[in-house]
Amino acid sequence: MRTLATRLALVTTFCLAVSAAANAAEVDPDGVAFFEKNIRPLLVARCQECHGEEIQEAGLRLDNRTAAFAGTDGMPVFEPGQPDESRLIQAIRYTGQIQMPPDDKLSDEEIARITEWVVRGAPWPEDASPDDADGEAKQTPTSPEAIARARAEHWAFQPVRMPEIPATDASDWIGNPVDAFVLARLEAAGMTPSPRADKRTLLRRATFGLLGLPPTVEQWSQFEADDSPDAYARLIDRLLDSPAYGQRWARHWLDVARYADTKGYVFTEDPNYPYAYTYRDYVVRALNDDLPYDQFIIEQLAADKLPELRERTALAAMGFLTVGRRFNKNMQDIIDDRIDVTTRGLMGLTVACARCHDHKFDPIPTADYYSLYGVFDASLEPDELPLIVEPDENESYQEFQAELKRREEAAESYQREQREQLLAGARAAVDRYLMALLRGSEASDSGEDDAKATNPIVLERWQEFLAKTAGKDSAVFAAWHALAEVPAEEFSARGAEVLAELAGAAEQPAEGEERHINTLVREALTERQPKTIDEVAACYGELFRQFDKTWAELREQHKDKAAEQLTPDQRQLHAVLYGEESPVELNDRAVRRAFSIPVKQKIERLQREAEAWKKESPNAPPRAMVMNDSDRPGRAHIFVRGNSRRRGAEVPRQFPIALTGDQRQVFEDGSGRLEMARLIASRDNPLTARVLVNRVWMQHFGEALVRTPSNFGLKGDRPTHPELLDYLAARFMDEGWSLKKLHRWIMLSATYAQSSDIRPECQATDPENRLLWRMNRQRIEFEAMRDSLLAIAGRLDASIGGQPFDLGAQPFVPRRTIYGQIDRQHLRSELRIFDVASPDSSSPQRPETTVPQQALFLMNSPFVVEQARHLAERVDTSDTAEAIRNLYQIVLTREPRGDEASLAVAFIESAEAEGSDPHEVDASADSDDSSADEGDRRRRRGRRQPDRLDRWQQLAQVILLTNEAMFVD
Amino acid sequence: MREANYTRREILARSGLGMAGLGLAGLFSEQGLLAPRQAAAAAANPMVGKSPHFPGKAKHVIHLFMNGGPSHIDTFDPKPALEKYAGKELPTENLRTERKTGAAFPSPFKFKRYGQSGIEVSELFSHVAESIDDIAVVRSMRADVPNHEPSLMLMNCGESRLVRPCMGSWVTYGLGTENQNLPGFIAMCPSGYPIKGPQNWQSAFLPGVYQGTHIDTRNEEVDKLIEHIHNRYLPAGQQRRQLDLLRVLNEQHAAAHQNETDLEARIHSFELAYRMQTEATDAFNLSAEPEYIREMYGRGLQGRQMLLARRLVERGVRYVQIWHGQGQPWDSHDDIEDNHRRLAGECDQAIGALLKDLKQRGLLDETLVLWGGEFGRTPTVELPKPGSNAGKINGRDHNHYGFTVWMAGGGVKGGTVYGATDEFGFQAVENRMHVHDLHATMLHLLGFDHEKLTFHYAGRDFRLTDVEGRVVHDLIA
Repeated sequence: MRTLATRLALVTTFCLAVSAAANAAEVDPDGVAFFEKNIRPLLVARCQECHGEEIQEAGLRLDNRTAAFAGTDGMPVFEPGQPDESRLIQAIRYTGQIQMPPDDKLSDEEIARITEWVVRGAPWPEDASPDDADGEAKQTPTSPEAIARARAEHWAFQPVRMPEIPATDASDWIGNPVDAFVLARLEAAGMTPSPRADKRTLLRRATFGLLGLPPTVEQWSQFEADDSPDAYARLIDRLLDSPAYGQRWARHWLDVARYADTKGYVFTEDPNYPYAYTYRDYVVRALNDDLPYDQFIIEQLAADKLPELRERTALAAMGFLTVGRRFNKNMQDIIDDRIDVTTRGLMGLTVACARCHDHKFDPIPTADYYSLYGVFDASLEPDELPLIVEPDENESYQEFQAELKRREEAAESYQREQREQLLAGARAAVDRYLMALLRGSEASDSGEDDAKATNPIVLERWQEFLAKTAGKDSAVFAAWHALAEVPAEEFSARGAEVLAELAGAAEQPAEGEERHINTLVREALTERQPKTIDEVAACYGELFRQFDKTWAELREQHKDKAAEQLTPDQRQLHAVLYGEESPVELNDRAVRRAFSIPVKQKIERLQREAEAWKKESPNAPPRAMVMNDSDRPGRAHIFVRGNSRRRGAEVPRQFPIALTGDQRQVFEDGSGRLEMARLIASRDNPLTARVLVNRVWMQHFGEALVRTPSNFGLKGDRPTHPELLDYLAARFMDEGWSLKKLHRWIMLSATYAQSSDIRPECQATDPENRLLWRMNRQRIEFEAMRDSLLAIAGRLDASIGGQPFDLGAQPFVPRRTIYGQIDRQHLRSELRIFDVASPDSSSPQRPETTVPQQALFLMNSPFVVEQARHLAERVDTSDTAEAIRNLYQIVLTREPRGDEASLAVAFIESAEAEGSDPHEVDASADSDDSSADEGDRRRRRGRRQPDRLDRWQQLAQVILLTNEAMFVD
Repeated sequence: MREANYTRREILARSGLGMAGLGLAGLFSEQGLLAPRQAAAAAANPMVGKSPHFPGKAKHVIHLFMNGGPSHIDTFDPKPALEKYAGKELPTENLRTERKTGAAFPSPFKFKRYGQSGIEVSELFSHVAESIDDIAVVRSMRADVPNHEPSLMLMNCGESRLVRPCMGSWVTYGLGTENQNLPGFIAMCPSGYPIKGPQNWQSAFLPGVYQGTHIDTRNEEVDKLIEHIHNRYLPAGQQRRQLDLLRVLNEQHAAAHQNETDLEARIHSFELAYRMQTEATDAFNLSAEPEYIREMYGRGLQGRQMLLARRLVERGVRYVQIWHGQGQPWDSHDDIEDNHRRLAGECDQAIGALLKDLKQRGLLDETLVLWGGEFGRTPTVELPKPGSNAGKINGRDHNHYGFTVWMAGGGVKGGTVYGATDEFGFQAVENRMHVHDLHATMLHLLGFDHEKLTFHYAGRDFRLTDVEGRVVHDLIA
């Protein structure tokens, strides 16, 4: 089928092509025939698999004239008439860097044929125009027409307008306008909504939903007792007012912001972000304060550029850009990550797809990617991050500062000391370097001893230095060069002669020649009368050692004026050791290279220790991970195929055309970050509010209205309820971008309050619940689970903010999970197992998996066991029935049913009974054992069963693990 | 006080559900009743066994990662021509690698022909060489750059810099695993991590369950090998009773919420976890192996790792990656003769034993074994650089232009040599095989069209081979 189609297409193209070519005077018909007979089939057979319609390796396409003549990377691949200049010919001849086809060279005859074709001027008939082709015009999604069409037609690019609220039949069900949109669709499908969930279910749903915690027994009884009509609305108000709300919803945002406390792999650098937490805390606070979402966005992208910052801590917002992975410090990848989190994270636009080529589906040319690249490329992270709280000049802060200084100084002084030692060593070993180079040039594979005693970087510098002085006009080294040329076996005979000649020439320079030999060098050599070149080197070595000593003394005596004391000859020696071009005076970078590995490692360790102090010390004042505009923002260029070494056309810093159309304006203010932020957080941006309300909806319902929450492009899903989405987005923006209001609109709807029970008839028609005929039952995420376990155990520390704690450290820190450290390089296994969002890139929605490792954690981990113990402690077990009742109330917010109570009783009683089974290790260690004295019993227990769970703790753990505790109805 | 023999069945009977309840809750292990639940579990459990695109010969993969980059010239790619230039410059220009290299450096190791195929292997791998007729040696591998980090990422994830899922994750995503009581993808590395750590077995944007489970094989006790595999607070019998109660409570809850597959899946996962405790303990218990098998593998750490790999594959684990050691042990910038001899001495016997053992159990046919590093090494000697090789001139630099990997089993054509480097071993010249091609070929052996094993993420379909990859049919039996 496909073959036939291809063939037909080929025939058509061929016919059209021939007729088109016939009209074009300059194409010779024989050439075209030659092409069709000899070349096109060859291209089809050997090239187009990788350079054809579907795949264009290296951006090259060889199945139509236009593309083939365009070549790749902005350069043609063949020059008609000039085969030797043609990259294509070089490639098929395997003479160039690129060898094609890669694995199986063409035959000589085939190469000859293609060469001949190029010689003939590369005749290739014109392509059929796209309209004539196979009916369906093949246009790229980034052509001007396609962009205009997408802007005019794609739903997500249309302005957000308040839709009309639909009329419905069963209007008494409707609680607020949200319901009208839902009901209209249900009625159209001949379905009805589910009944309202009971009070207890709503209480749990709303509390988990907003706080990520279960309601307490008191809250439950209060709510049950409250018969007023607005009891539920007041519940929502109370929950939104709780600081726990920010702790819960910040975590959702941190998924989008790919938050972590570490940089990922950065070789030997300190991998921690000591101040990432200030961003996390900013998000919690912003949500609790109900900071308008547009402002929330602007602060995260450009707080540094705001003319008036509402408070200094708002600078921390910019962690949004800077807490990403550091890709071993590769700047292109870091910027790519920032473009992605900004565009996909805030607008559901997959701009990062256009890094190497125009977007395949969406109207995003690669130029637009680099326009944003320019914005981030012109934004730098300052070396010293700004403080966001003026540190109290109290004792603990001063202690912190003193220790920090001590550590920084330790690194610096060690480095200084090592540098001095290395350079002093090099200054004292001039002879060794001279000889090493001399020997090296005689025997390149040398493994001699003196090679070991020289520093390779210094050696390199000496090599360059001597090469520069090789013209014999160097006063200091002319003698060395001259003597070095004397063959070793002739040295005893000729050495003195050469030396005398040099000395004489220096004293009586020939006419017109300015030949000066440094007097100190001459004297040293004349005095020593070296017999071998080694002795010459030794002579130089000694001379420099002596001079260095003299110089040290002069420095001692005359300080800054020491140089004035030098004779002209001494000055020349001085220049060799200390001058600008000195081989033994290394700049910081060269010195760092020259250090041995152990020294380098020690420096890095000391630097890391200083850096780590900012993280370790509880007194380190918080700083904001900001960016600032570069003083001189550079020009932005396209990188051809994403390769930063291949600069393409220059592009202005500006917003993607998909969102601006003709109205596009080039950014003018520095990096353009603030302008970009304002365009994102704009009432006119069709994406930002839609994306946000969709995500909030998703958190409440488990499924979004647009089920590709970070892809609102042409390949994304369409909304299940487009008008509802627009209603929420429009109202959200019109009423001040308030998230808390948005929560109320959603949570006070009858849609939200539906029961989650499955109705088989609806399940059959709409198994995915796209029409919202019920609430989805949802499993609580890892953070909510861990926090709930702590809360149920009566252990939760609800405090807000601060440096992260180690989730694995025992005794377990009972803080909320959002404050646990996220190490993106070594993501803790329980985070991975429980589907916590990967911090590698912006993550709008977590996967939901069920695997036995989750169960193992719940059954066996010391953390869960500890919470079970605490839970058991909370109930008074002297009355079995009452204790069981309490457990159910605390964990599940309800009374146990009769059968459940009797099961629990049976479990408790049988455990007690089994405890006396001699074959099983004693479980109920607290049972009677009057035959042994207390101490003996404790010792035995301590030895055999240190941590054994008793029956109540076992029962507590079972109830904690039930599906009912882990799902929200 | 109750009688001591009060059984869990009695507990259940008292639940008021009678025998019907027992049928559901008490007889969980009888297969007949498990069937519908397993179906439900499959919906939510992403590790359930799945079929590939077409029947593949290979069902499991064991990737032996010689991290640091073993020298092909000293192991599986003999280059006698280097002798002629020993200590002299090669007539061809030295290619640019990470550091400067100098004169030709012939292999200090002897090569010999082995097996029917007569393929030459160096004395370093004489045990492996005994299985040479089951091995396809690829001598024309190529990677992109001569640096560890990007090359490790390329070899494992098919992409040098950006965060992408590794091959083990792709394979478990595509095939699930055969034994739900064990992790489907296990990465063993003794005493720590290789360079870039867990990124080497990352699932990236694939669900976290496809990430490799790291096991530090320096440990010998199973508790330290798999997290939370044992309950230190309860004897098994009491935990069983706990789980029975949990099961009844969950069944009752599920009965009130019909057709919720998530609930069913979670019920099932506790039973899987319970069995995993015994199964995993058993899988990692090497003392169950007969003495002669343990001798065959050798008593060292590598012997233990290889034997574990066999036991895991035997139990249905899909993908096992074994790292030689933490850091980059094979990175012999200096003293290559001593270092390579030591390293090969540690693992040759164990790898040889693994191949023979798999074969004698009939497992080799369905187990694809891959041996190799992230690149090879230069045929020329590395010149001294501050500190890095302590001024010694007896090692080799990284070489991504040409290197060797070999594959065995899983439908690979044994006793073959594919491709070749130039006469000195500097770069692949014949039948060049890029890492993407290796991935495409391995996926083919596992039954996948590498262009169709995709995952939709951030607006597009991703695959292991990105836009590259070519299946090399010459390597397939």
